[in-house]
Amino acid sequence: MTDLDNKLIDILTRVFRIEPDEIKDDLKRKDFEPWDSMAHLMLVSEVENEFGIFFEDEEVVDIWTVDDLKKILKQKIAT
Amino acid sequence: MKEILESVKKDPSYLNLWSAYKKIQALNLPAPEDERNTVRLAVIGSTTLEPLAACFDVKTRLEGFHVETFVGGFNTYRQEVLDKSSDLYKIKPDVVVLSVDAWSILDKMFLANFVRMSVKERKAVQKELAENVLSVTSNLESNTSALILVNNFVVPVFTPFGIVDNKQEVGLKRFFEGTNEILAEKLEKSSRVFLVDLDNIASSFGKSRITNWNTWYRGSIPFSDDFTPILADEYIRYVIAMKGRAKKCIVLDLDNTLWGGIIGEDGIEGIKLGNTAPGIEYVEFQRSLLSLYNRGIILAICSKNNPDDALRVFREHPSQVLKEEHFAAMRINWQNKAANIAELAKEINIGLDSMVFLDDNPIERAQISQVHPEVLVVDMPKNPRLYREMIESLNVFDVLTLTSEDMARGEMYVGKRKRTELEQSATSIEDFLRTLELKVRINEVTDFDTPRVVQLIGKTNQFNLTTRRYTDAEVNTFRKSSDAAVYSMAVHDKFGDEGVVAVAIVKKKDGDWWIDSFLMSCRVIGRSVETAFLAKIVADARKANATRIIGEYIPTKKNPPASDLYKRHGFGMPSTSDDNVTSWILNLDEQTVDVPEWIELTEE
Repeated sequence: MTDLDNKLIDILTRVFRIEPDEIKDDLKRKDFEPWDSMAHLMLVSEVENEFGIFFEDEEVVDIWTVDDLKKILKQKIAT
Repeated sequence: MKEILESVKKDPSYLNLWSAYKKIQALNLPAPEDERNTVRLAVIGSTTLEPLAACFDVKTRLEGFHVETFVGGFNTYRQEVLDKSSDLYKIKPDVVVLSVDAWSILDKMFLANFVRMSVKERKAVQKELAENVLSVTSNLESNTSALILVNNFVVPVFTPFGIVDNKQEVGLKRFFEGTNEILAEKLEKSSRVFLVDLDNIASSFGKSRITNWNTWYRGSIPFSDDFTPILADEYIRYVIAMKGRAKKCIVLDLDNTLWGGIIGEDGIEGIKLGNTAPGIEYVEFQRSLLSLYNRGIILAICSKNNPDDALRVFREHPSQVLKEEHFAAMRINWQNKAANIAELAKEINIGLDSMVFLDDNPIERAQISQVHPEVLVVDMPKNPRLYREMIESLNVFDVLTLTSEDMARGEMYVGKRKRTELEQSATSIEDFLRTLELKVRINEVTDFDTPRVVQLIGKTNQFNLTTRRYTDAEVNTFRKSSDAAVYSMAVHDKFGDEGVVAVAIVKKKDGDWWIDSFLMSCRVIGRSVETAFLAKIVADARKANATRIIGEYIPTKKNPPASDLYKRHGFGMPSTSDDNVTSWILNLDEQTVDVPEWIELTEE
């Protein structure tokens, strides 16, 4: 677990109101009820605030799973 | 539930508040039986307001209330307000927040074209903008009985005129300031609509940080993560005031709180207190306290000191702002402070939950918190230069209406202290009452006294025979009716003017006068003025050829002090109905009630 993973899990648990061990990489926006549009907005802005980055509108739309979020975040931080 | 609130209390960040809100919504809790603990909130407006509503909801819960919240749709507030069958009205809100963004009403090209608009055009748009909000507000006012909180507009920081904005007759800033001024003027007289000074709160927080542009453009969320909870705090002030949970009394330590240093060691010349540094910070802190006293906040002292040393500062120090006359009660001794505070509450006759404790010593603070968790123990800054800022940002003394009685409350409690001293030296109670030189003014309620009367009806618990709470509108209906009368009584004695302290509502039916309500502020209990009040009603009933006076009594947990009122005054034949209402009868042919000879009835 990296520091980034930990921070991300902390945000996800609070946004989705679930326990850390319930967070799986393949958790899907479509099949997971708490991940509604408001939660998505919340999630994206918390990640932006926490890591000091910003997402393009298309990127926001394209985050469908926890794995998607991790990938794009790592990519952003690397550049 | 408790668990959720505990965790958010520890870290009331935006995300935690929102997360708690969502968790609580999912619990689907039943409403508590006691209505007084429930607050129904509605947050409507032109933007995405769920985050603001979530913060307001959870913060209201942290104050101990059960909450139901309605969040309006995106920019659908007009429909919600106009449609009487909308969900907004279904929850029967106690508080409605109306948060309208000026830019949602203004023309899309408003900013771009502002510079080229004529002054006349600008003023016309300004009026239209204010009207827009005011018409929604007035609909809300007539369709609900709620407290209505209307955000004013944030005066923008940017103006195309730049530094010469205020060289224009109506520059962009003055355009918004003027709109806010119109709103303030139009809403000033309403007892239920309050203009929340969003512009001021935003300034204090920092206008450049009130919006998160990412979430604004992405989801029309009007306020940033850090600002949303701050704005919710402002709304909480109104809820606390509405529910009568405001603090009324500040209990002050002396050494290193009102002045720097220790009087018992440093002496009157050695303590820090003066109009220049060092010591100016204490003088300014005292001035802020005095401003609260002048508004009606009661002050008291709780200090470990030799009374003579401490009192010398009040009497002799040239820079001491607060004098003995400003304190309703004092405990300057070596007893433990928890015991002293309990005594102070008893002497002043207010609940511990109305008290704020200010003491520089964290050990004293910890003790009070532990023994009296109801007392608000303020975490005083270590740096005395921050005392003033601390007291000025405490925001726990709010009331929804400020009557002249409220403003003079400090003096009244000082009068009470002197009265108590006299009572202790008097040989008999009658002797004591005689020396008080009591004067009462009893009349049917005037327009001027109505706000105070409504306030007394709303908050009097102890000496209240029926505890029937009536609204402003209901009281006015009684006043206008020929079959009812609303009386008020003002009391004055040699120690001061108490103002209007008692209310009675009489309903006239078939030659009988029914005393529907009879209540009196607890601060005049024990001065036999209730006898004078009853006597006046009896005399008026006699003049109107009534045959009987029937006094009603409904017992509550808090009103035993009033339970024997009718019995004491010769009312008889009590009968109790199914709904626990006891009726006492006075036959005017046989009996009467006289004004005690030591009370003088005065005219207007």
